[in-house]
Amino acid sequence: MKKHEESRRAFLIGTAVGASAVAGAGLVPTALAQTNEQHPAADAPATTAQGHAHAGGHGAFLNDDDAVTVTAFAERIMPGAPGKPGARDAGVINYIDLALAGAYSDLQDFYRRGLAALDVHCRTTYNKPFAQLSAAQQDEAITALEGGKATGFTWPTSQAFFETMRTHTMEGMFADPVYGGNKDFAGWVLVGFPGAQPLFSPADMNSKDAFAGAPIIGLQSQSKTVLRRS
Amino acid sequence: MATEKTDVVIVGVGAAGGILAAELGKAGMKVIGLERGPRLKTEDFNPHDELRYFQRLDLRPNPKRQPVTWRPNANGRAVPVARQDYGNQAGGGTVHYGAVSWRMHEDDFRARSQTVARYGASAIPEDSSLADWPLSYADLEPHYDRAEYELGVSGKAGNLQGNKIEGGNVFEAPRRREYPLPPLLVEQAGAAFDAGAKKLGYHPFSTPRAILSQPYNGRPGCTYCGFCQAFGCHVGAKSSILVTKLPDADKTGNFKLVTGAMAYRVNSDNSGRATGVSYYGPDGSDNTIEAEIVILTTFIYDNTRLLLLSKTEKFPNGLANSSGQLGKHMMAHMMANVFVGFDDRHMNIYMGPSAQKHTLDDFNADNFDHSGVGFIRGSQISIGTGNLQGGPISLTTTAPPPNVPRWGAAYRDYLAQYYTRHAAMVAQTENLAYPDQMIDLDPNVRDAWGLPAPRLTYDWRRPNERARVEFMQKKMEEIGRAMGASLVWRAPVSPAGAPGAHHEGGTRMGSDPKTSVVNRYGQSWDIPNLFVIGSSTFPSMSGFNPTLTIQALAFMSADAIANRYKKSPGPLL
Repeated sequence: MKKHEESRRAFLIGTAVGASAVAGAGLVPTALAQTNEQHPAADAPATTAQGHAHAGGHGAFLNDDDAVTVTAFAERIMPGAPGKPGARDAGVINYIDLALAGAYSDLQDFYRRGLAALDVHCRTTYNKPFAQLSAAQQDEAITALEGGKATGFTWPTSQAFFETMRTHTMEGMFADPVYGGNKDFAGWVLVGFPGAQPLFSPADMNSKDAFAGAPIIGLQSQSKTVLRRS
Repeated sequence: MATEKTDVVIVGVGAAGGILAAELGKAGMKVIGLERGPRLKTEDFNPHDELRYFQRLDLRPNPKRQPVTWRPNANGRAVPVARQDYGNQAGGGTVHYGAVSWRMHEDDFRARSQTVARYGASAIPEDSSLADWPLSYADLEPHYDRAEYELGVSGKAGNLQGNKIEGGNVFEAPRRREYPLPPLLVEQAGAAFDAGAKKLGYHPFSTPRAILSQPYNGRPGCTYCGFCQAFGCHVGAKSSILVTKLPDADKTGNFKLVTGAMAYRVNSDNSGRATGVSYYGPDGSDNTIEAEIVILTTFIYDNTRLLLLSKTEKFPNGLANSSGQLGKHMMAHMMANVFVGFDDRHMNIYMGPSAQKHTLDDFNADNFDHSGVGFIRGSQISIGTGNLQGGPISLTTTAPPPNVPRWGAAYRDYLAQYYTRHAAMVAQTENLAYPDQMIDLDPNVRDAWGLPAPRLTYDWRRPNERARVEFMQKKMEEIGRAMGASLVWRAPVSPAGAPGAHHEGGTRMGSDPKTSVVNRYGQSWDIPNLFVIGSSTFPSMSGFNPTLTIQALAFMSADAIANRYKKSPGPLL
């Protein structure tokens, strides 16, 4: 039963991602291909400035260096893997950049100072900026932030900076695409959320299976293909 | 400075204020309602957006403009609370609430005497101010009935005039008739909860909710879209004040709503009468309404704050405060969660009204023998979602299982596997009243209008409260295993002592003017033309969501004002 569920789930994800890719001018396959390339062995650099392929992913607030750092950080919070879209695939950097230029503009200095302190911590500890660390080192650095063990933080505290980065990464994964992240519903496809459906039928409510029978619905767009039970 | 005259001014047009506006308007009284936020429409709630409404709290007060501060005890400076969960628009909290609509039990109205009779006075913590209400369930039953029928509540009776009915809440107090609408459809989480609870001999049922299961009073039935708690309803099936009593109030022709109005003082004269209310308009103007009757129906913080801000030479400790009890005995539910995860079925928790889907009442109030458990009173236990809302952002704000980190590949896989295969139980535990749990004015923090912020002094971490939470978490874990979940985990409860949800107290009602602020009608003992109506008057809180009781009290007070006070102004008791 479990195997059956798993394979159906994989099928649904494949279907939905493929479908929205058609609708979204091939963006999802590109993103997934990048994910595959950008998941190197744990001791290799996880990303570099050159590796930052989303030229359109920032520019409203973050500068290039900071965007590289935030992209790398968010990707460790929600890493992508084949068939499992992560922060980079979902365009979390774009969400955070737009939010800092708009709804969260009061957090601009919080980010500036937090990123500067993160840089100090990484250069002191590893002699490299965060984005050039291996994935294992990046995880170690994030763990130090989370536990309040990182050096160089005053305001924001390292825990506060970690919590905010975590929260904003989740928002960028799972908020409606209209806010700049969750590209082609990558986050919703990952977890199986069909978006803002206006109604569910008694049959939907009675089913122990994954929901099927409707496109994913967003504020300004929906997936072009109806999700189906296998 | 504009001055207007009216019969009645109501500050805060939410769960209670909307009902009073409609009922007093019907009685021919001219009513002006002051509302800090806007008046939204059903069309404003389409489409649904989890980031905007759940995460960024679009229907709640902006804590930067309207700060509330909190400290665990009187030694120290209070800090601003980051999130505020009460309403901030016409309709108040009923616009965004989960619409759970309970009648309290008979013994909830006499929590102190019930405890003393069954367990002895020593069962009540020495420092608690647990008190009986100055009215009984029987006094309020007609008004509960009226609220259910006028607003539209879906559910199944469990006690019809003393006859216990299986499938309803067999622990409920007797009701005169069935609910006006049948229960809402059951979702997967409710079905699994029912099956597990029944295995253990408990009595689960569909939670009564002010959400239409069928068309009613010209409004359509629920579409089960799932965007309920934290959201406005996109079809108007949630029986919020916005779509029920505000239109009623409009129809009377006697009601005027002023939005964007920040009330800052209740005016009074040297004879000891309230003369009206002063407020800042949305343009910054300073305005006064002169009224024969002043009714405060804001969230509990502002009921107390307004009375404290309104002090005069005659009332140096604030209005309605000769007892010295103003601001004291604050209470809030703890929201203790236990999560369940399944590997053999989906829960699709985002479907259907999102707060408390199904409930069991076996461990609430004095419904079970508390001998030896280390606490009194209890909690409902319900199934739903961790943060009462079923979207994926909501899940990321809750605790994953203990062996799963909060980020990284393992966390991603947890979300992918369990978002559609999890549910959460919640116990809303009845915390007792303590006089030092209170609201006053913050000496350091001011709001956008320059007024001192409400300051909460509150610490839930008392022995009775801790024991109650621990007991309920164990029960929920037991139910989770009986549900057949492959994963059962509890979320850590707030370690910091901050108040949880459903705040009550501050303008306590009682039968003695020396120990309470208002009488059973919400009428000030000191100033008979000043009323305070809402959960701020609750002497004890029960393990139930407060809204239907607030609404029943509003109907009762409206009757007393329209039928008795209007003819002969003065004390109603």
